[in-house]
Amino acid sequence: MNSFIDYTVNGLVIGNVYALLAVGLALIFGVANLINFAHGSVYTIGAYVGWAAITFLHTPLAVTILIVAVACGALGAAIERVALRPLQGRARIAPLLATIGLSFVLDQLVQLIASPNPRALPVDLPDWRISIGGGSVGPMDILIAGVGLSSAALLYGFLRFTKLGYAVRATAQDRDAARQMGVNVDGVNSAVFAIASALGGVSGLLVGMYYNHIDPAMSFQATLKGVVAVVIGGVGNVPGAIVGSLLLGLTESYGIALFGTTYRNLFAFALLILFLLVLPNGLFGGRKAVEAEPMTGTFIAPSRALRVPDYVVAALAAGAFALPLVAPAPYLLQVLTNSWLAGLLALSLTLVAGAAGQMSFGHAGLLAIGGYASALLATDYGVMPLVSVPVAGVVTSLLGTALVFPAFRLRGHYIAIATLAIGEIVSLVILNWESLTHGAMGVTGIPPLSAFGYEVTSARAVYWLTLSALVAFALLQARLSSSHIGRTLRALRDDEIAARSHGVKVTRYKALAFGFAGFGAGVSGAISAHLFSYLNNQTFDSQLSLLAVTMAILGGMGNILGAIVGAVALVGLPEAFRFAAEYRILIYGIVLLLLVRFRPQGLLGTT
Amino acid sequence: MAPLCQVRALTRRFGGLTAVDALDFEIAQGEFVSLIGPNGAGKTTTFNLMSGLDRADAGEVLFEGRRIERLAAERIAALGVARTFQHGRVFGNLSVLDNVLIGAHTRLRATRPWGGPVAELALALWRPRSVRDDYAARESEARAIVARFGDRLTPRLDHRAHSLSYANRRRLEIARALALRPRLLLLDEPTAGMNPTETAEMEGLIGELKREGLTILLIEHKLDMVMRLSDRVYVLDDGKRIAAGPPDAVRDDPAVIEAYLGHSGVGRRPQAEAAE
Amino acid sequence: MHAHFSPTRRALLAVTFGAAFAPAALAASPQGEPILLGVSGPLTGPNAQYGAQWKKGFDLALDAINGAGGVKGRPLQYQFEDSQADPRQTVAIAQKFVSDPKIVVELGDFSSTASMAASSIYQRAGLVQFGFTNSHPNFTKGGDFIWSSSVSQADETPRLAKYATELGFKKLAVLYLNTDWGRTSQTLFSNAAKSLGAEVVAAEGYQPDEKDFRSTLVRVRDANPDVIVLISYYADGALIARQIRSVGLKTPIVANGSVYSPKFIELAGDAANGVFTETNFFPGEQRPEVQNFVTKFRARYSEDPDTFNAVAYDTIVLMAQVFDQFGTERAGVRDGLAKVKDVPSVIFGKATFDPETRRVAGARAVYLEVRDGKFAPWDGVKPTTN
Repeated sequence: MNSFIDYTVNGLVIGNVYALLAVGLALIFGVANLINFAHGSVYTIGAYVGWAAITFLHTPLAVTILIVAVACGALGAAIERVALRPLQGRARIAPLLATIGLSFVLDQLVQLIASPNPRALPVDLPDWRISIGGGSVGPMDILIAGVGLSSAALLYGFLRFTKLGYAVRATAQDRDAARQMGVNVDGVNSAVFAIASALGGVSGLLVGMYYNHIDPAMSFQATLKGVVAVVIGGVGNVPGAIVGSLLLGLTESYGIALFGTTYRNLFAFALLILFLLVLPNGLFGGRKAVEAEPMTGTFIAPSRALRVPDYVVAALAAGAFALPLVAPAPYLLQVLTNSWLAGLLALSLTLVAGAAGQMSFGHAGLLAIGGYASALLATDYGVMPLVSVPVAGVVTSLLGTALVFPAFRLRGHYIAIATLAIGEIVSLVILNWESLTHGAMGVTGIPPLSAFGYEVTSARAVYWLTLSALVAFALLQARLSSSHIGRTLRALRDDEIAARSHGVKVTRYKALAFGFAGFGAGVSGAISAHLFSYLNNQTFDSQLSLLAVTMAILGGMGNILGAIVGAVALVGLPEAFRFAAEYRILIYGIVLLLLVRFRPQGLLGTT
Repeated sequence: MAPLCQVRALTRRFGGLTAVDALDFEIAQGEFVSLIGPNGAGKTTTFNLMSGLDRADAGEVLFEGRRIERLAAERIAALGVARTFQHGRVFGNLSVLDNVLIGAHTRLRATRPWGGPVAELALALWRPRSVRDDYAARESEARAIVARFGDRLTPRLDHRAHSLSYANRRRLEIARALALRPRLLLLDEPTAGMNPTETAEMEGLIGELKREGLTILLIEHKLDMVMRLSDRVYVLDDGKRIAAGPPDAVRDDPAVIEAYLGHSGVGRRPQAEAAE
Repeated sequence: MHAHFSPTRRALLAVTFGAAFAPAALAASPQGEPILLGVSGPLTGPNAQYGAQWKKGFDLALDAINGAGGVKGRPLQYQFEDSQADPRQTVAIAQKFVSDPKIVVELGDFSSTASMAASSIYQRAGLVQFGFTNSHPNFTKGGDFIWSSSVSQADETPRLAKYATELGFKKLAVLYLNTDWGRTSQTLFSNAAKSLGAEVVAAEGYQPDEKDFRSTLVRVRDANPDVIVLISYYADGALIARQIRSVGLKTPIVANGSVYSPKFIELAGDAANGVFTETNFFPGEQRPEVQNFVTKFRARYSEDPDTFNAVAYDTIVLMAQVFDQFGTERAGVRDGLAKVKDVPSVIFGKATFDPETRRVAGARAVYLEVRDGKFAPWDGVKPTTN
């Protein structure tokens, strides 16, 4: 019983820490209808600004907090002005993608400037502790709770009772109407971003002090947990964010108590999925009425696909096949092999996100399922890779569809969050299900690709094999696209309600799309597993999922040739610029930002 | 003979507001019935309840004798009920032809093979003779339907719907609905936003459909058109039915006139007025 | 920075500088065709700080070697390709290296899993893959071109267990990084501890990006251990140590050698005091190889070196000697590693490889304790149980 109290206290303590970030996220969502994935980066920058202030200016705590708040507030306003305001009026998911690109850019900038080594961030608070149960809390806990609660209270009061607060809420409800009423909508948005970012930066500072640890990679986990807390509390609900955070903290703590530390994040994401399915508006979000306008879950910019004549495509394919005979440098072939494998992933994503309108931010999970399926079949059960690879494709098709199935009825940012969480869950299940997957040890000694004893190991052979898989899948996907199924998927994407009203069974077709796409991704993961000869739960990670999205957008959502072009551009080209390797991820972020802003239809146009 | 479609005590509430209040009406095979009433009277909500996009709080909807108020929209469509939307909802990124072909979705045999979705996928990829014939048949049907609109849509068959003019988009919506070969067609303000010429054209088309025997339920605000086309009219206000009957009877009903706030002689033609 | 220039440009620079400072440098600067070492490692990504540590060690060693005339008059250079410790990239880099005839040996990658993904390429092509931080027991089994100077976890962790039992602890709670490295270490550690008569009362694996350990520590506390063993790197080790103290636990802490870094003390603050650890490399050791290295490192970088700097430094020194004695042909390098004896090493004192395991036998360990914010050799006093 004693321990139960301790777990509860600890859950509240960590929930307290999450709450600081969650409040800022909730505020931005409430006003701009946007999950700001760059919030975690502002949080990180806040910590570093604070570090700089303390180290170079020796400022006392209160002044440091002020400096951080001002600096991050300015950053937030700049983000809104430069990256988000130009995207008004676009599909909801455009700003979300922009914030993802921003988060890449900001995180990389921090890493380039400050080095990836973690730093200490000492705090000059008194050293007493209050015992609660078997544990204790200290002044930092109190400070964090104080800042979190008071900012939530202040924000709540501000939104409820002040004139500017009314303006903010009006803008959130209906931007155009608010503008008509004389509200300076742009100013309101700037103000909100500034406030939320100031709060985000301060939370980074305080959390950095709490753990005496800051590093450039802080942002991703922080954002994820913040998003979970906000969804639980009800997106847009500021006090709800605090409740959500505490609930998240408690869930994690009890999860650890029951099953052990490795289950912590699994519980967090399972909680998220549970809420998305059962109570998508969170605990305090209220119930929504019937939607009036068509809400699409994806990012399609109306455009015509570039008409590439068939003979050009055939020539390109022939050229690709002939390449090893002309320029057999193994390095080049290896780079292109990586591109073909990435191309399979991009094709898979562009089908579901482009053609079917189901954005997927966890697509790397499909690679993991395929990779593990084939690796385990080959290593533990001695199945020939010629057989295990297609079987892995089928497994991925079925399992992948089953996993994403509950998310089919979600829209816009919810689908982004859900698929991101599902991707993380796949990775965590792989990590924890040791009896099946060998857990953290991974699968070693995966045999190379072979058929009936003949091994495919030379750079050329592997190149041809993967290229064949890519071309075959692309042709099949083109065939699918020109069939009634392709048409039906595009109709679903454009207007699900109108589609249903003409007899289209939405779930059936979304499942079809995912099933087909899952096969391609599964095969890609399976082939990779045999090429790497080693696989663990981190081989196919969330960064790869986001890279897949960037590839698909770059090529043009739904565009088959575009997906391959996007893959070659984002996976192959960076190899040619190895001297810029340090800036690779920075460049991905910039590419994504530029695409979303200036050329959302990608290079070859959407279908 | 039992009516084709019957609505009984249909009710829908949104919080404190009752949008549709114990509504009763029916429509017989081949009849042309209109629903009229001021804005906010609950007409579109009624359509949503009938077509399965919304779930009623009470009451029932019967189509060909069976209850459909709890069925999903796609099931109701498969039973032969097609509808258009108040603000027009075409598939913007699809071509005109593809839009109409979606309307024919339930008629495409390839969507219902033995073996479920997997078989459907396999057939779509392989496309044996039977499937190609199926596709071709739907396409020629679609072209024929589009041809009914003269040269409004036919020259634009492969244009994307978002590039069409507003009036053409509304026409496309109707073409799409017709492709379903509906037994009951629900039209929600098909001439909203159209000028008199376009309205007249649309009225001509709807009249043609009526003459071909299609059962039509119409929501419209252009009351002269309503009076000319309808066999019977129901008037709604505040979710309740306040009048019903042939157009002449409804035109002079004081309750109806009051609902429209002082319009005298609702829908009456000027010369008829002068003759009194 | 010179790692980013092409070989020709580098040679050109070397010649230009050599000519500019001719009188003074003429005696020392090597003029021949550079001997190129390919390095595959993380310059960006989550493990970027380790790549940076490597570079410092490499550069320090190269200063000394090239300053003394290089190897038979030829300068040593490395070409660092950023792999982000990502198996996809290590494979591509491997292809690049094996097909570049100027590269005579490959160093790296950082993690065993990243290296193992590329091993088959190096093995088939006959280019030595020298994974000097790859401690996975299966790493060198990839073939006779796969070598490592890293102490195998199979050797290192039992020593940690021995230290823990020598300190008098009988009930051990183990917190380990839940990666293949951490898992392997934890298994080996637990087995070794059991064979020494101790009991592992709790074993909690945690994710690399985990920050909050409070609830984990409740679990640990409830198992009633007399020591908490950390199988961690320095950043996470520091986080855990701090939280152990801030929740009020007074249990002694024993941590594996990866925490041995000035960063651990910086990040853990006061909580570092009293932590026991062991290391193959301790700057305070009076051995000439160690002092030589530490002095030069401090002079050049104004900070104390850690194990990552040391192993990188050792690797260059090793390679220089192999090249000197056995030539720079790829197959010759492999043979040379098997035959080379008693290479001066900061870690090992004198390093000789076991041709069977392709690792160095006989790493020695120094038992350490943190006192007053500094690592110091253990004074032999067993901590009193609380």
